[in-house]
Amino acid sequence: MKLEKCFMHAFNMALHSKLRSWLTILGIVIGVAAVIAIISMGEGMQQSMTAQLSGLGGDIVTISPGFSRGTGMFVMRGGGGEGGFSGGAQATDKEIVLSRSDLQALKGIPDIALIDTNIRGSVEVSYRGKTGKVSLTGVDQRVWSQITTNKIKSGRMLDSADQNVVVIGGRLASSYFDQPIGINKMITIEGSAFRVVGIVDDQSTNIYMPIQMAYQVIEDKKNGIYDSFVVKIKNEDQLDEVIAKIESKLMVARHVTQKDRDFSVSSSRQFQQTRAEALSSLNAFLVAIAAVSLIVGAVGIANTMFTSVLEKTKEIGIMKAIGARNPDILLIFLFNAGFIGLVGGVIGIILGTILSGFMPALMGNLPLMRGTAIVSLNSIIMALSVSITVGVLAGIIPAYQASKLKPVDALRYE
Amino acid sequence: MKMHDVWKIYRMGEVEVPALRGVSVEIKKGDFVAIIGASGSGKSTMMNLIGCLDVPSRGSVYLKSQDISKLDESDLASLRGKTIGFIFQQYNLIPSMSAFENVVLPLEFLEYDDREAANRAREILISVGLGDKMHHRPAQLSGGQQQRVSIARSLAGDPEIILADEPTGALDSVAGIEVLNMLHRLWKEQGKTIIMVTHNLNLAKYAHTTIELKDGQITRISENDEVNKK
Ligand SMILES: Nc1ncnc2c1ncn2[C@@H]1O[C@H](COP(=O)(O)OP(=O)(O)OP(=O)(O)O)[C@@H](O)[C@H]1O
Ligand SMILES: [Mg+2]
Repeated sequence: MKLEKCFMHAFNMALHSKLRSWLTILGIVIGVAAVIAIISMGEGMQQSMTAQLSGLGGDIVTISPGFSRGTGMFVMRGGGGEGGFSGGAQATDKEIVLSRSDLQALKGIPDIALIDTNIRGSVEVSYRGKTGKVSLTGVDQRVWSQITTNKIKSGRMLDSADQNVVVIGGRLASSYFDQPIGINKMITIEGSAFRVVGIVDDQSTNIYMPIQMAYQVIEDKKNGIYDSFVVKIKNEDQLDEVIAKIESKLMVARHVTQKDRDFSVSSSRQFQQTRAEALSSLNAFLVAIAAVSLIVGAVGIANTMFTSVLEKTKEIGIMKAIGARNPDILLIFLFNAGFIGLVGGVIGIILGTILSGFMPALMGNLPLMRGTAIVSLNSIIMALSVSITVGVLAGIIPAYQASKLKPVDALRYE
Repeated sequence: MKMHDVWKIYRMGEVEVPALRGVSVEIKKGDFVAIIGASGSGKSTMMNLIGCLDVPSRGSVYLKSQDISKLDESDLASLRGKTIGFIFQQYNLIPSMSAFENVVLPLEFLEYDDREAANRAREILISVGLGDKMHHRPAQLSGGQQQRVSIARSLAGDPEIILADEPTGALDSVAGIEVLNMLHRLWKEQGKTIIMVTHNLNLAKYAHTTIELKDGQITRISENDEVNKK
């Protein structure tokens, strides 16, 4: 029998098969959905990661008070710029801060090109009679534009000469208040008026202003006290050595030892590593789900096929009597299994696509997992080949069994 | 078609059931043979061997002077497809396929060109009087009509030999005689070799040669030269 005829008969057989046999494709559906989710998330993460990596660069190091002796899991502050990492600070009575002497120590390291000093706080902001509480970051406006990963959507970055001006987050500008805030509009922060000179291309409600102004606006922050330093080093290749230098200098300046260290030094590279680790464990989880589901799916299809061979024993006998050769029967059943797998795959892709649409929302609270899922042609082709392969593999034994039936026995079967 | 000292022994656990015990017979091309005998005498077993659906336990079966026990599965299948047409008591049509598709099926195994296969199937279905029922499923046809579809199917590949195992067994006498007349015509007009198993001695009279089986052995072979003149 010609291949296309075998295919057609397999197709008809699938069309005429009972609902019950379709239920067994559930395993394939879930498996393929998981495969789609894995690949599309992976690709989504990959894109956002490369975007961030290129933005963040491997030459940025952040110093913050507090030191975690735990797992080294760094969490990005919600919407905060500067890649401000804070080690899970130890619970201590006295608040741990960075001071001017720490800054002096950093300035003594020749490998450092730029130092941005930051303070953070929560402030009341009002615009056209509406008021809200948002976070504010004071930055060294002379270097901020060269260190920050933030991109400006409209207007400009902060400038050395700036005083009563701010740059605001994208959402604060567009939709936080009833009316959007445009460039050169005045907003009131803790009672003082500031002019908006730039809007960041993000979805935050953050406000950035020169640190000297921030000291006046944020109540409990005293001059000479910092929440974090963000430094840019001269040579990216020496990142590890520079981090070591920074750590030893600061330990001396702060009169602490490795044991009672009270500050953290982290780089974007470390952050990316942590994130990659978290991602890969998530992926491993999904791979496990996919593998188990696909195995369950394969067993299901094999089961369907065994039943179907049994049900069709007589038909197989008839076909053999009227001239079907063993390979004809084998191919019809193999194609049938492959087709069932394919249908499972298609449903799985649809389900997986819907699921990966939800993924970013599910991951929304985990800043490490940020990034949108992308369902690419690649992942669809991949998922389809996986499902067809699983179907065919599952069908091999039943199909072989069918092809080996002796015509007399098969014809006698009722 | 020739059988030489053919034995067929079925094994059922410990017990051995000899269904054929040393059968030797030669059936000439163009003959119309009826095999008769009591139930369990080995008629179907003999048909299965002639039809290459089974191989003998001992002895040899020659079809077109080839020893079928020397052929492999695929060759047997091709041989069946090309030279033998089967008609079964229970019709054995494929229930999910229309009459037309059932008749086309053997041609697909023979890798006929699509158009040729379709034309041929249509022609044959019309010749058995089912031109208006081609797209009916077996379940939508009467027993006599189903048997005619199965006759049409057996003719599709233009075989030399037609094997019919109690072709009228499930039909009433009118439909049965109609089927017999069809077989008779195929024999007389198209020169096919017809081998038919039957219980009904009246129907056996249509045949030129009658083989009687008893307990797996041939007890009598008779020829009726009158039959040609019918
Ligand atoms: N597959 C089988 N396994 C075991 N025994 C079998 C098998 N097929 C046939 N037999 C036995 O072989 C003997 C001959 O059977 P066969 O079917 O050839 O008889 P038959 O003449 O066609 O009978 P009937 O007129 O009832 O169809 C019987 O005793 C039967 O029980
Ligand atoms: Mg019988």
